Amino acid sequence: MNRLATAVAVAALTAGAVLTAPSATAASTPHDTTVYTQPAPIPAEAKVAQLDCRGTTGNMGCGPGWFWRDGWRGWACYPC
Amino acid sequence: MTIYMRTACAFAATAMAATIGGFASAAAQSSDYSTLPIDPNLITDSLAYSAAPFDIDPDGQQGVTAVYTHREGGTRTITTTVLILPDAQAAAASLNGAAAEVANPQTQPVPVGAGGTAVSGMSPDGTQSVTVLTFAEGNAATTIEFDGPPNDPVPPDMVVTLGQKQDTAIRDWQIA
Repeated sequence: MNRLATAVAVAALTAGAVLTAPSATAASTPHDTTVYTQPAPIPAEAKVAQLDCRGTTGNMGCGPGWFWRDGWRGWACYPC
Repeated sequence: MTIYMRTACAFAATAMAATIGGFASAAAQSSDYSTLPIDPNLITDSLAYSAAPFDIDPDGQQGVTAVYTHREGGTRTITTTVLILPDAQAAAASLNGAAAEVANPQTQPVPVGAGGTAVSGMSPDGTQSVTVLTFAEGNAATTIEFDGPPNDPVPPDMVVTLGQKQDTAIRDWQIA
């Protein structure tokens, strides 16, 4: 009987502490003081690495803005 | 009739008229014109173009015509015509109208030979890009015509490079 009474008492104390905590917090902080961080602004000029016409670094290392194909000079790098 | 043929005929007709008067003033030069045309493979990857048999003395005019066709389905051709005329004045005069068949022409002077001029535009039917380089070197009158896809005209620097090599070959031939 004593054990049962002890268990009930412990449970009641624990539940009381949990249930009363939110109301206590709400009462002490009536305004939301959370600090929200703004995301970094997008730069006006996006940094884009220009690749060849097919979006790769090129079959033969033609480099940005150039394209490997069989053109007037035969197989060579030509502007896009 | 291709634009090349029309251009060549106009060029030859003008040259024929300029030839009247005889060749007495022409310097003694080799009659082997087959060595005159410069192979465009010299400035490419060495395999891009194949040459048709040369037309020696085209339309009865002293000189040579060479046609080089690109391996990529023949979509690009380079036609070089060198005509030998009595003197420099006749050579320069023969080039008048050589690019008359180019539609929407844009004319630019180029540093090739004497009176080097490049006329770029389209074929009369709009199916090909066309650039015609004309220049004289002494009594030699030269046209080099570049026919290609409508959206891929010959690069201007290639026109100048090939023209200058052709000019050098003509000068070497003239003093040989």
